[in-house]
Amino acid sequence: MKSAKCHSLRKGRKEENMSQVSASEKAKLSDSKFEASTLKAAAKKNALIKSLTEPAALIGVVIILCVVFSLINARFYGIVNIRTILEQAAIPLILAVGSTLVILIGSIDLSIEGVMGASAMSFVLLTANTRNPHDHGDVAVLAGIATGAVFGFASGYILTKFKVPSFVVTLGMWFVGQGFATMLYGDTATPYMTNSRVSGWSPRLTFGLPNAFWAALIVVVLGFLLLNFTKLGRSAMAIGNNESIAKTTGLNIDRVKISIFTFAGALTGIAGIIGAIQLGSGSPDVGKGSLFVSVPAVVIGGTALAGGRGGVLRTILGVFLLTILNDGLIVAGVSANYQSGVAGLILIAAIIFALWSRRDKLGVAK
Amino acid sequence: MSLFKATEKNGVTTGASALSLRNIKITFGDLVAVDNVSFDIQEREVVGLIGENGAGKSTLLKILAGVYKPDSGTIELSGEAKKFKGPQDSLDAGIGIVHQEQSLFTNLSIAENLEFVSGGSSKSGTIFKPFNWVKANKNAALALGKVGSKLDPRTRVGDLSFIDRQMVEIAKAMKVSTAKVSNPIIILDEPTSLLEVHETEALEREIAKIKDLGSVIFVSHRLDEVMRVCDRIIVLRDGKLVAIKDRDDVNQQELFQLMMGHEKKSQPRSYQRKHQGDTPKVELREVGKKGEFRGVNLKLVAGEITAIIGTNGSGREDLCKAIYGVKSFDTGTMLIDGKEINHWNVQRAIESGFGLVPAERKVEGLIGGLSAADNISLIFNDDVKNGFLINPKKNLAIAKEWFEELDIRPRAPQKELEKFSGGNQQKAVLAKWLKSKELSVLILDHPLRGLDPGAAETVNSLIRKAAAEDTAVLLLGDTMEEVLDIADQISVMKDGEVTGSFDLHVDHPSTLDLLEKMV
Amino acid sequence: MTQLTSNLIAPKFDVKKAWKIFGPFAIFAILFVIVIIRNSNFLSGGGLGVATQVSAPILMVALSQSLVLNIGSIDLSNAALSLLGAIILAVSLPRLGVSAPVFILILTTLFGAVNGALVAYTRAPSFALTLGTLGIFQTASLVVSKATSVYVDNNDSYLGHLNNNTILTIPLIFYVGVLLAILLWAFLKYTTIGRSMTAVGLNETGSVFAGLRIKRIKILAFAISGLVSGVAGITIISQSGSASPNGLGSDLLLPGIAAAIVGGTSILGGVTNPINVVFGSLIISMIPITTTALGVNAQAQSLIYGFAVIVVAAFTLSHARKNIVK
Repeated sequence: MKSAKCHSLRKGRKEENMSQVSASEKAKLSDSKFEASTLKAAAKKNALIKSLTEPAALIGVVIILCVVFSLINARFYGIVNIRTILEQAAIPLILAVGSTLVILIGSIDLSIEGVMGASAMSFVLLTANTRNPHDHGDVAVLAGIATGAVFGFASGYILTKFKVPSFVVTLGMWFVGQGFATMLYGDTATPYMTNSRVSGWSPRLTFGLPNAFWAALIVVVLGFLLLNFTKLGRSAMAIGNNESIAKTTGLNIDRVKISIFTFAGALTGIAGIIGAIQLGSGSPDVGKGSLFVSVPAVVIGGTALAGGRGGVLRTILGVFLLTILNDGLIVAGVSANYQSGVAGLILIAAIIFALWSRRDKLGVAK
Repeated sequence: MSLFKATEKNGVTTGASALSLRNIKITFGDLVAVDNVSFDIQEREVVGLIGENGAGKSTLLKILAGVYKPDSGTIELSGEAKKFKGPQDSLDAGIGIVHQEQSLFTNLSIAENLEFVSGGSSKSGTIFKPFNWVKANKNAALALGKVGSKLDPRTRVGDLSFIDRQMVEIAKAMKVSTAKVSNPIIILDEPTSLLEVHETEALEREIAKIKDLGSVIFVSHRLDEVMRVCDRIIVLRDGKLVAIKDRDDVNQQELFQLMMGHEKKSQPRSYQRKHQGDTPKVELREVGKKGEFRGVNLKLVAGEITAIIGTNGSGREDLCKAIYGVKSFDTGTMLIDGKEINHWNVQRAIESGFGLVPAERKVEGLIGGLSAADNISLIFNDDVKNGFLINPKKNLAIAKEWFEELDIRPRAPQKELEKFSGGNQQKAVLAKWLKSKELSVLILDHPLRGLDPGAAETVNSLIRKAAAEDTAVLLLGDTMEEVLDIADQISVMKDGEVTGSFDLHVDHPSTLDLLEKMV
Repeated sequence: MTQLTSNLIAPKFDVKKAWKIFGPFAIFAILFVIVIIRNSNFLSGGGLGVATQVSAPILMVALSQSLVLNIGSIDLSNAALSLLGAIILAVSLPRLGVSAPVFILILTTLFGAVNGALVAYTRAPSFALTLGTLGIFQTASLVVSKATSVYVDNNDSYLGHLNNNTILTIPLIFYVGVLLAILLWAFLKYTTIGRSMTAVGLNETGSVFAGLRIKRIKILAFAISGLVSGVAGITIISQSGSASPNGLGSDLLLPGIAAAIVGGTSILGGVTNPINVVFGSLIISMIPITTTALGVNAQAQSLIYGFAVIVVAAFTLSHARKNIVK
């Protein structure tokens, strides 16, 4: 597997060089008047190459990181650490799928941390726990997911029917979710999960890999299928590309947006449940810091913040890049304090690189 | 109206016309945009629709598209009377329009774009359906084949060339119209404005193919194209249908006459020119911007009004923006007072005394949420400033002076400018520029657009006054008449190039002379 | 919106305008009255002092945010910057003494300017860029403080006077905040630069055409916002005598934004009144007090902040209804 990835890394570099050549070719062409079609052909080739280099470059970076961290500490490529990485990546993966969909329609969901807390609390209080006698097993899981979905629905609804920009609505929902979680948490003792089968579910291995990772994989597949093989997914891409044109095609834009937000909310609910399981107890802070991994992962993966470009598979690359980076840094002995800073730097760098190629557009970005 | 040509289908003359308009009339306020227009279009013919700016073409198209409802008149399709309550009804009746602005999703494939064509997407539950790629690709291939395109339906639209996208647009419009009707009407609104010469020829060949599938209405400002492609040509003028001619029965000169009506000549200028022979205030030498205009030579002389006229796609609006510094030139040089300019932007333009009254008033011309007084003092505000501070009393006082001078109503300069009517807004925008003694170049882009006659009159007199005070004025006018009255120099632009220049103190062009260069 | 020519200015009572000017004060007054009715000891027990004390840091962060909101952007990092400022202040007080606060203000202004430069030059969405700088500031806080609380020892505790000394039971630091609000209000209204910022927030395209130097204006707005964030950091130190990455001040982002919005600042830009933001922050700090007085669960306050933000935004964004909202 490594050699295959090495090959694509070399290919990625070669293609980068090629795109430089066509840039200078392009410069020569612009001297001649209105060689529009030739320019267009060159631009087309350029665009094709560029879209290839992005994932290839990311895979390349991931490989470099793997190699470097393995050299620093052999523990890195041990099976134990790989399992840890996969388990750690589970929640960010699930969240990032939801965020990808929301960002593809041109919106943003800032509420995930609060909604995770609310879902986690709903779940814990309905499963076997130290605070109350409930033990509803699967119903608890459904409750957690439903909590997330309801928040998502509310965000989507307020966005579409009241025309409140998504970052305001979801910012408000962050508060509301946190408040809901805090209320459920109350001022009595922390509700711990008493059923060790449930609380130990996350790192437990199935076919050699942690359960949490399998759950994330299923979510990723679901997200991919939704985006690429349903009318909803393609409509979302259309809306993200050009909403005014979408309006004229008779698409029910409100319905698409609400559905996407609801789906993302449900995914956030799943993430909250897994977070609670990993923690072993219910807490409103289960999601603290998740915004920091999911949004950068989506952007780094190549999904544009303006919407309409990117996808689930690319986001996976972004998540893995960040997770491996975080894990590797810890294994290398770097304090966990640096994680948010590193993520922040990479996010800014990713935004700048992504926009560098489109900087001639006279756009007004807020 | 001339007789229509009966078409033959398998040797048999069909009865009802494909499209039949009778006495269509629509009025906006005082303006009669479409005035009792009647015509028939048959199956398998291409009909051209030509007319000047403001002749009523786009309004008529909007009526056919179901965007506007006519005040009176009937529309019949294949003999059946139709009333369109909205765009969906027009689509259902078999009318598909390919607009100037592209309406495709660039991040999706051709097949997906064609799938998105209206026809039940708004029904509940359908968005959760799986997207059948196989079927979509197949349908797309069929639709493309119908218009003679061999494009791969899986291609991402963003990767297609412009003409390929136009073909997809046509396929899309066809798909819509053929869905329910045997003889669709395809309307092509300026389909060639962004195409290169060899591409337009390709498009013309495609249009010939589409003819077999239905009827085509072809709207273009390029008369040579219209004459090549169309079987018949409809001429609109001032909202009225003035002629329907068979292509073989008419030549370009006649079409000009029909489009223009009464030929108007410019009057000899009576006043003296003060600065003729001086170094021009602004000189453009072979300036160009990729995709917009090229090889433009222009001189703006102090105290003179230079007008540029042209139709769609002429590039004159972009030229103005480039002169003002909002856009940049790719090639050529600009000289100010004879000195070459290297690095140009809006700030330098304003410092050099340039002002622009943009066409998009609400977005580009003013800051709606600020008061009228603040808008007026946004630039050249030394008179209201003490260092960094704004003196609110002075701000209002100076604004009030201008309100009086230009008769801006209501006399409330503290009110947000967005709350004033269009004409008053425009006057405030002008006040912003006119109040500066450093104003040396004033550029006006369609300044009379959306103004009632009274306000238009005031604006015109202000333009004249500015010129009288030695400002070099560059004016983009809406109509030829407007420009013939007021300008000292007229340049005509078509498709990005200057096709003619007239000095009104020496030449006396008529509207016909101008029109010939515009289309 | 189109008025045909009329000489008469019909004076109508403009509800919207009245609400814009007096709304936040009205809400605060209502909350205040509710509390006094339900809790007769509120005033005598020093309730007003507590409310203003709690609202002081929120006020600073809210003012800082409102400057950024005014130009049409948002700054998710300003609370983290305040906290970083507090931590660096605590660490540098022993060495720099009285010049430490000045040093901090310069630092936070510079960091703010960096945020502004990123937003101005990349033209990327500000929430994403400031999310990035948020992470960087967080890491900086953890590193400088070594992930633990940094205490100000007694020799340097002069800043505490700002909090402990009161006039009418209201701590001095709150008056500092009010003064700051008045200064900012005057800045926005009476200086050309302030007005330019408002213009950019209202209509950036129109501002380009008017020759305003957009990049400079944005950087300056963020820089001043950074300066105010520094004042927030000083506030934190004066109130708790220490700074910790997890302690007082670590949760100011959301209350700050809520206070700015409830205080009448528009998310879309170009509309803000710093004086009303004072009332906005008082409202935010009064919410837990009011809910307690009404017997509502204290944990519900986050919930109420959230609703407040959404409801106020929904009702004040009427002009956005025609455009596409993302």
